[in-house]
Amino acid sequence: MHPAISVIIFTTFSGMGYGLFIWLCANILAGSGLSDDEIFSGTALSFILVSIGLISSTLHLGHPERAWRALSQWRSSWLSREGIMAILTYGPMVIIGGQAYLGVWSSSLVMPMAVLGILGSVVTIFTTSMIYASLKSIPAWHNVWVKIGYQAYALSSGGVAYIMIAGWQHFMTVVGLLVLALVVKIITWIYIDKHRGQYKREDALGLPDFGKAKPFEPAHSQKNYLQREMGYELKSGRRALMRWLALGCGFILPAVMLYYGLPLAPVITLICLGGMMAERWLFFAEAEHVVGLYYDKDSV
Amino acid sequence: MTCLPEKTDKKLGLLIDLNICVGCHACAVNCKEWNTSGITGPMADLKPYGDDPSGVWYNRIHSYEFKKENEADRAVYFPKSCLHCEDAPCVTVCPTGASLKRTEDGIVLVNPDVCIGCKLCSWACPYGAREYDATAGVMQKCTLCVDKIYDENLAEERRVPSCVSTCPAGARHFGDFADPNSNVSQLAAENDARDLFPQMETKPVNQYLPPVKREKHADKKLTEKVSTVKEALAKWAKLDFTG
Repeated sequence: MHPAISVIIFTTFSGMGYGLFIWLCANILAGSGLSDDEIFSGTALSFILVSIGLISSTLHLGHPERAWRALSQWRSSWLSREGIMAILTYGPMVIIGGQAYLGVWSSSLVMPMAVLGILGSVVTIFTTSMIYASLKSIPAWHNVWVKIGYQAYALSSGGVAYIMIAGWQHFMTVVGLLVLALVVKIITWIYIDKHRGQYKREDALGLPDFGKAKPFEPAHSQKNYLQREMGYELKSGRRALMRWLALGCGFILPAVMLYYGLPLAPVITLICLGGMMAERWLFFAEAEHVVGLYYDKDSV
Repeated sequence: MTCLPEKTDKKLGLLIDLNICVGCHACAVNCKEWNTSGITGPMADLKPYGDDPSGVWYNRIHSYEFKKENEADRAVYFPKSCLHCEDAPCVTVCPTGASLKRTEDGIVLVNPDVCIGCKLCSWACPYGAREYDATAGVMQKCTLCVDKIYDENLAEERRVPSCVSTCPAGARHFGDFADPNSNVSQLAAENDARDLFPQMETKPVNQYLPPVKREKHADKKLTEKVSTVKEALAKWAKLDFTG
């Protein structure tokens, strides 16, 4: 799949934003003694990250001015559900951030909002992952590891941002989450590498009993929309480089820097976000679409 | 609404006979001709006279070479357009309701006035049936010539999709697969009709008739037949009517 920068920013920024908000809400519920300033700057950063993500996701639309229509089909469409959940989750975010900003702290309001904030964020991340995981036509996405991964990467990258906002109190938990997310990523890669090639061209043609098929004359002289959108060719050298970049910057480097307590939380957050963008670039670039079987791919 | 109808009254679709198709691309050309000025037109072309022309087509004609042991290689021309699936994943993923499957005849359509151009439907389709029109910012696809097949101003025999009416070989048939007595249902039942990519569980309405199976060592049989004809001719030449 073509790795479009708009969707890469959409899922990485909003993932970190929701992850950070989950961390904030959990600490409010646990009574970790966060100051009003910390809660406000945390929710504000969540708000900004999520908003950058959502606005970015509308940039690749053919008709961004009609984006509101995307909220109508929640009965069947995960994309529609994602949009609705993202808007609903702004509620607790704005209320908690507003209370902290105004310094009028009402526990009876904030506590339920924190619960709703966690629920809303987890469900929003899940709906985002389901936009991809529901597509049977893209085997690299149509599996449980994509659903687990989106939650894990949101929590780990959001945790790194949380340390930048609220200090190092829980840094070992964040390190643990980074390691866990790293393991999920590696399992995901093992899974998709093992399951490559399960569909054959002859399946796509509905002619599995006529021997081996290969195209002998192109259907059209130049690349069409399908090949440009769905036929991204990832070179194996580039794959290895991007996988190391994703692991290194997304998980390993932030974990090591946090473990040794380097007082560079904003830098660590940026490295982590950059690593997540490399990971998400690969998420698209590595994902083969079965329509390639009608073109140059023998198996997907 | 992008929920799929539980059942459609009709299941209009195409039956494509791969044994007959000669790969002339006439169906694709006539499709473009009709639809570019039809209800979902124009079908935009970018740089049509440049080095890298590109445009929207609802129908593309692929061709494949099949190799099998003990059989001569065969060429199969393979027209591919929207299959108007019963479980169309392109419809359910649509966030706006622009993609729809009609309850009355099962035709899958895009409403260009509602489409936001998110392209997710084209990702969901395993067959590559949807192509994005970058000039209009909306998704396009085969309409089964919905503006032709119901047009009462046309003579009844012309009320078929333009790809069907133009096929010079008679490889394309149009009809209602929900009616077991329809031409397409009968042809499908008699001829080992195939779904494309059944593993995708989309329940395509369009069906494909596979090339005729060759008997093993078909070439040898042909040689035998030729020699029988030769012998017969030789006998006739001698006006020998014995045996």
